[in-house]
Amino acid sequence: MTQQPMTFVEGPEVRELRVRLREIIANDLPEGFRGAFVDGLEGQRTANGFCRRLGEENLLTLSWPREFGGAEASIWEQTALREEMWAHHEPRGAQYMGLNWVGPTIMKFGTPEQREQHLPAIANGESIWCQGFSEPGAGSDLASLRLQAKSVGEGEWRLSGQKIWTSYASFADWCFLTGRTGAGERGREGITVFLIPMDQPGVKVRPIESMLGPHHLNEVFFDDVVATSAEVLGSVNHGWEVIRFVLSHERVGIARYARSERLLALLADHLPSDSTGDGAALRARHARMLVRARAARLMNYRAVAATTSSEIPDGVSAARLLTTTLDQEVATLALDILGEEGLYSDEFAPLDGWIEDAWRYARSATIASGTSEIQRMLIARAMTSASKR
Amino acid sequence: MSRLWPAESLAFEESVQRAMESTGAIEFARACERDPTQRSLRLAGLFSDLGLDELAVDEGEVEAAAAALAARAAGRVIAPWPLVQRLTASIAAVKGVTAVYLTSGSPRRVDHLDVAGPSIAIDVLSGASHSLVPAGEVAYMPLDPFGVPCQLGAPVDTPAGAASTHIVLSAFWALGAIETAVSASSVYAVERFQFGRPIGSFGAVQWRLADLSVARSALLELAGFTLAKLCDGTVTLADALALRLQMLESCELVLENAHQVFGAIGLCDEHDLSVIDRHLQSLLRRPLGKTQTVHALSERVTAEGFDLLYPVRPHRGAERSIVLHAAASSGT
Repeated sequence: MTQQPMTFVEGPEVRELRVRLREIIANDLPEGFRGAFVDGLEGQRTANGFCRRLGEENLLTLSWPREFGGAEASIWEQTALREEMWAHHEPRGAQYMGLNWVGPTIMKFGTPEQREQHLPAIANGESIWCQGFSEPGAGSDLASLRLQAKSVGEGEWRLSGQKIWTSYASFADWCFLTGRTGAGERGREGITVFLIPMDQPGVKVRPIESMLGPHHLNEVFFDDVVATSAEVLGSVNHGWEVIRFVLSHERVGIARYARSERLLALLADHLPSDSTGDGAALRARHARMLVRARAARLMNYRAVAATTSSEIPDGVSAARLLTTTLDQEVATLALDILGEEGLYSDEFAPLDGWIEDAWRYARSATIASGTSEIQRMLIARAMTSASKR
Repeated sequence: MSRLWPAESLAFEESVQRAMESTGAIEFARACERDPTQRSLRLAGLFSDLGLDELAVDEGEVEAAAAALAARAAGRVIAPWPLVQRLTASIAAVKGVTAVYLTSGSPRRVDHLDVAGPSIAIDVLSGASHSLVPAGEVAYMPLDPFGVPCQLGAPVDTPAGAASTHIVLSAFWALGAIETAVSASSVYAVERFQFGRPIGSFGAVQWRLADLSVARSALLELAGFTLAKLCDGTVTLADALALRLQMLESCELVLENAHQVFGAIGLCDEHDLSVIDRHLQSLLRRPLGKTQTVHALSERVTAEGFDLLYPVRPHRGAERSIVLHAAASSGT
C-alpha cells in the first residue's frame, strides 16, 4: 500500500482560509443563491462580481504559481477552496474551469504569446472558456473524436465538425478544442488542441434543453472555421499529451461531497421527530449518508495526496465512484425527507428550492467527467494488472 | 496522526504478519475448528513473544497504530484468538482483567471467552459493564465456530474509552480479513479462464472487482480517521458507531461480491473465502448487526452531533441549529 504523508487535522492556514471564504460567501452572495446557471443574466452577473471579490482578496488564482500571479497555495488550501465553492453552488460560475485547468494547461504547453494573451484574462475573471472534447461519437472514448482540422497551407487549418455536451458554450469567449489534424480517423495519434475564439464566423452554438437547467449542455458546430498556428496549444498531432494533462487536473474533480455534507447538515433540521415508522427509517438513512459522506471525503483526500504521482491511481476512480453515488443518494434522501414539497421550485420551495435542484443536477453525477462504468473499469484494470505482476 | 503510518508500527505489523504465516495462516483457523485447544497451544505464547501483551493502545500514536496494524495482520488470516478484546484491555482505564467484550443486552455466547482470561462486558447501548464468565465450553457451529456460552456477573465500573477502542480495533481486524478476500478475488479474476478469456476481462466481473475495492478503501480510510480521533481524544461514540457501520457495509459488500467472483469454489471449506466468510459473521452480528448499528448511530448523532465540514449539531429540543457559516471544524 502506498503511504501518503497527510494529516487528518487541518493546519492553521487551511482553517484560516476556510473562515475567510465562509465570511466572503456570507457577505457577498445573495440570499438563496443557487448557482450561476439560471435563466437570465443575474446568475452570471453574481458570479462575475464574486470572482472580482475573490480577485481582490488574492483568492481567485490560489492554486497558480507565483510567476503567473498566483498564490501557490498548498494542495490542502486548494482543496478547501474547492470544497467551500462547491458547497455554496460554485459562485465562480463558469470561471472555475479556466482557473482549475485551462490556465494551468496553458502555463504548461502555451507559447509566451499564448500565456500573455490568456492567463491575465483568466486570472482577472474576464474570459470564460468551454471544453470542446465530447462529440456525438466520442464520449467516454475520447480518442474517437472526428472533428476535422484540415491543413490548407502553412500554419492554417479549416475546422469542421461537431462537439456536444459543451457546458457554458452559449456565453463562452473561448473554446479549448480538440480536432483531428493527422492521418487516420481514430486513435490518440493525429490530435491537436486549438484555442479558438467563439465569436468568429462558422461557430454556432445550439443550447440543449435538459433537466440540469440552462447553460449546462450545448451543441457546438464548427463550419469551415479558420485556425492558425498561433492558436495551436502544444504540438500539432500530439494533442493527446495535452489532453492527458487536462484529465490529470480534472481527475480529482469538483468537491461534490462538500455539497452533500452541507445538504445533510441542513436536512437534519427537517427529519421527522418520531422514532418509529417512517421517521426512524429516514433518520437511519440520514445516519448512513453521514458515514458515507465522511468516507467519500477521506477517499478524496487520499486522491488529492496522490496528485503528485505521474500515473492515475485507482484511488481517484474509487473516490469519484463513492462521491458521485453519494451525491445521488443524498439528493434522493432529501426528496424523501421533504416529500412532495421537495419538488417545488417556486417561492414556497423548502430550502430555497435547493432540493429539486440538487436532485436534477445529481442525475449527471455518475455520467459527467467519466461515467461510473468507466471508473469501475479503471479500478478493475488496476486491480488485475497488479495481480499479474 | 499523520496518514504516514509510523515506521515502527509498520515494522511491527510485518512481524505479526510473518508470525501469522508461520502458524499456517488461514489453514490454522481451519484446523482450530477441529481442535480448539490449538488456539492456546500455538497463539498464546506467539502473541506474548511478539510483545502484544505489553502494548498499551492509549500510550501514544505509535503504540495505537501498532495495535491497529497488528489487528489487521491477524485479521488477514482470521487468527482464532481474542486479540481485539485483549488489546482493548491494555488501556489504562481497564483494571484487573485481560479482555474487554462489547455486548448488547444479556449475551448468550461470545468469541473465545474460554481463552480470554478474566473479562468484562460493556453494553454498547446502555454503557453498563459487568464481569463476564464462561458458562460452558467452546461449541462449534459453522457461523459461530469459537462461540463460548457466557453469563454476566457482578456490575463493574465502565472503563472510559474502552468501547471506542474495541470498535476501532475490530474495524482493523475486519479490514485485514476483507483485504485477503479482495486480493484473492483479483488474482482469481486473472487466473480463471472462461470462454477463452480471464474472467476479469468481463465487464460484469470488473464491476464486482471495483465495488470490492471501493468497499475496502472506504473502510481503510474511515478506520484510520477514527483511530486518529481515538489518539487525539476527540473520538465520540457516534464516530465509533459510524466506523462500525462502515465495517459492516464493507464486509457485507466484499463477501457477497467475492463469492460471485469465485463462484462455486468459494463455497468450499477448503477454500479460504468460505472460512473468512463464516468466521467474520460473529463480528458482524455481535454486539449489533447493521440495522441495530444504524439506529444506535442515529440516536448518538441526535445526542452528540456529527463532525463533518458542515457539522450536524446535537439536537437540543426545538433549538436544533446547524452552523453553516461558522469557523471550520478542526476535526477534519
